[in-house]
Amino acid sequence: MGAVVPPRVDGSARRPPNYRKVLVISSAGAIAGACLIALAYTGPEVAQPGLSAALACWVTLPYIIAGLIAWRRRPDSRLGMLMVTAGFATFINFLVWSSNDLLYTLGVAAQFLPPVLFLHVFLAFPSGRLESTLDRAVVLAAYGAAALTVPVIVLDADDPRDVLAAVDLPAVADFMHKLQLVLVSAMSLAGIALLIRRRRRSGRPLRASLGLLVDSFSLGLLMIAGLLLAGLFGWTSVQGPLRLATFAVIGTAPIVFLAVLLQARLGRASAAQLLEELGVNPGPAELQDAVARALRDPSAKLAYWVAEFDAYADVDGRQMDPQLGPGRSVTPISQDGRQVALLLHDSGLDDDPRLLSSVAAATGMAIQNAQLQVELRARLEDLRGSRIRILQAEQRERRRLERDLHDGAQQRLVALSLELGKLGYQLSRTSEMRARLDAANAEVSAALAELRDLAHGIHPVAVSDYGLGVALESLATRAPVPVQVVGATEGRLPEPVELAAFYLVSESLANVAKHARATSAVVELKQEATTLIVEVRDDGVGGATTEHGAGLRGLADRVEALGGRMQVWSPVGEGTRVRAEIACGQ
Amino acid sequence: MRAVIAEDSVLLREGVSRLLAESGIEVVATCESADELMVLLPAEKPDVVIVDIRLPPSYTDEGMRAALTIRARHPGVGVLVLSQYVEVGLAMQLLADSADGAGYLLKDRVSNVKDFIDALHRVAAGGSAIDPVIVSALIAKQRNRDPLSRLTPREREVLALMAEGRSNQGIADEFAITLRAVEKYVSSIFSKLDMPSTAGDSKRVLAVLLYLRG
Repeated sequence: MGAVVPPRVDGSARRPPNYRKVLVISSAGAIAGACLIALAYTGPEVAQPGLSAALACWVTLPYIIAGLIAWRRRPDSRLGMLMVTAGFATFINFLVWSSNDLLYTLGVAAQFLPPVLFLHVFLAFPSGRLESTLDRAVVLAAYGAAALTVPVIVLDADDPRDVLAAVDLPAVADFMHKLQLVLVSAMSLAGIALLIRRRRRSGRPLRASLGLLVDSFSLGLLMIAGLLLAGLFGWTSVQGPLRLATFAVIGTAPIVFLAVLLQARLGRASAAQLLEELGVNPGPAELQDAVARALRDPSAKLAYWVAEFDAYADVDGRQMDPQLGPGRSVTPISQDGRQVALLLHDSGLDDDPRLLSSVAAATGMAIQNAQLQVELRARLEDLRGSRIRILQAEQRERRRLERDLHDGAQQRLVALSLELGKLGYQLSRTSEMRARLDAANAEVSAALAELRDLAHGIHPVAVSDYGLGVALESLATRAPVPVQVVGATEGRLPEPVELAAFYLVSESLANVAKHARATSAVVELKQEATTLIVEVRDDGVGGATTEHGAGLRGLADRVEALGGRMQVWSPVGEGTRVRAEIACGQ
Repeated sequence: MRAVIAEDSVLLREGVSRLLAESGIEVVATCESADELMVLLPAEKPDVVIVDIRLPPSYTDEGMRAALTIRARHPGVGVLVLSQYVEVGLAMQLLADSADGAGYLLKDRVSNVKDFIDALHRVAAGGSAIDPVIVSALIAKQRNRDPLSRLTPREREVLALMAEGRSNQGIADEFAITLRAVEKYVSSIFSKLDMPSTAGDSKRVLAVLLYLRG
């Protein structure tokens, strides 16, 4: 639980603008549109009034309209307000067309506000907040540069229409204006760098296509920078077409932003359908899939809390550690005030806390059955784990015993028989002492043979040291009926798997010898992807079951502990077939 | 004859070392691990190496791997592998495509001084020595099958000794019969099993073992 942080939900309490506010803003927007057309046709310096009016409206009204809708529908994001502001600031800039000198001066004063506000909007998308210190620094610097317009107007007495001109220092004014152009274009380029960095840090799988479109608006910033630099260096030939293209891109941005913001809203509607879609008692995986669909986040996962093991488990009951990687966030899921699970999802969704909380609430209501199933699966997983541990402990112990026998008793007996052999060898073949020594040596040899069988029974060391192939050939050679070994494994397999396969063949061939009255048998090995299939068939009398022989039952237990299964077919009179499928994934 | 012993048990290393010395074989070096063996081998130039199949550090297949390496890189050096257990499959791995200068015996065989020293001489001289346990298991497996079932008991005994790597003279000594009698048995066996008679004892070993393995 320590690794997990609760989601940020501040801002979700922000209220949408009331109808009066909406009415005032939309009326102001309509008036601004009308004014732009009027200004274009009456302005003394406007070249193509029709085209100019259309372009002016294109970069102004979409911001006001889209901003207003976003503001109402997504009051948790400040982006709507920001877009409305950008729209009106652009409008004010177009007052430079006016024949009235005061309005003209106001328009000139606002000349750098539109590009800076666009920069602000792009960097603040989608939450409306500037998330990092760098973002804030870049935007602040850009506003600072825009504010330099005021002293420029005051100092520039060369412009006859400038009503604020007070001091005549045109050189200083010109220098400061150029500084502004440089600063604002530099900040626009810095904004592009920040957008690229953000994209690199959190590759958002969520709403990917629209995300890409949004990012492509860093192109808009690039064009703004280009336009400003063209003004600085007086590239008049490119200015016209560049302005057209820039305006086209800038005017499209608010529409795309609005679409992205509203898509989350559609997501919320799907969250409402979530419960309905789930029906009664969804399973753990069904619930997770439905949640992923509702969030439109295919990477969304549920971590179910299993109190019994004091741990989280995935849909299959396997224990999991809900560590958050980069770009991942978590939303707790509660049922009756108790936290029962965690929803792990893409960080991009943090922009939409309402969607998250409604999905979390719907999930909390539907989770009970899934929770119980995960608990059950977790218990089964735990049981399986303990069976494997018991099996491994047994194998370790057997290996140790075999080693002790090999290094201890067996070596000593060999050394003893060597000494007895040497003593006897020095005596004449006919002496009585020689006969007694040879007899003693024969006893030692018999003891060694028994010890060898015992050690092999405790742990078939050839399986571990040389693999199934070598071990099975020896089994087949020693079998009392002809045994054919067919197939092989692809290289070595994990020791528990090889041992299980060996014991299966060993026990089956022992049964063939004892009960089957068979004339031949076949051992078949087959490896399919991560499964080893072992099959032993004989042509004997059949009638064997796992229930009867403790040997076969023990084998089945061993195979099942490894996550495999064993089957026995033994119809009376038709031979016996023992088959095991053992998982051997590394 | 010069011999090197690689065996981690002091008791056995010393025991075998003394046995060899008393039998007039010069033990030029002994060591405890396969790595040491591979290091001292080029300098000592032994005729034969006795190597325990389980050696440090992991006590699994180090001895066997050393044996295979020596057979590949030093064809003039006989290799006798000793083990607490013998496996048909391992014998075939060791022989691969030639039984020349190769031996694979249970450790117990050191107690029969005469047979052991005899086997060691054979391996050092480029012959072979395969444990009777392996040979008898293979013969038992084929006993009731044609054409092995048509061999007389004595022919089967001769076949077993051939598979163990004994020469005709060795077989003659074992049964106290004449060399000519052994030759008659051998040619009868080859004709009954429909095998081409092969020149050289160790070629005969491999042919017979492969035949018995089926």
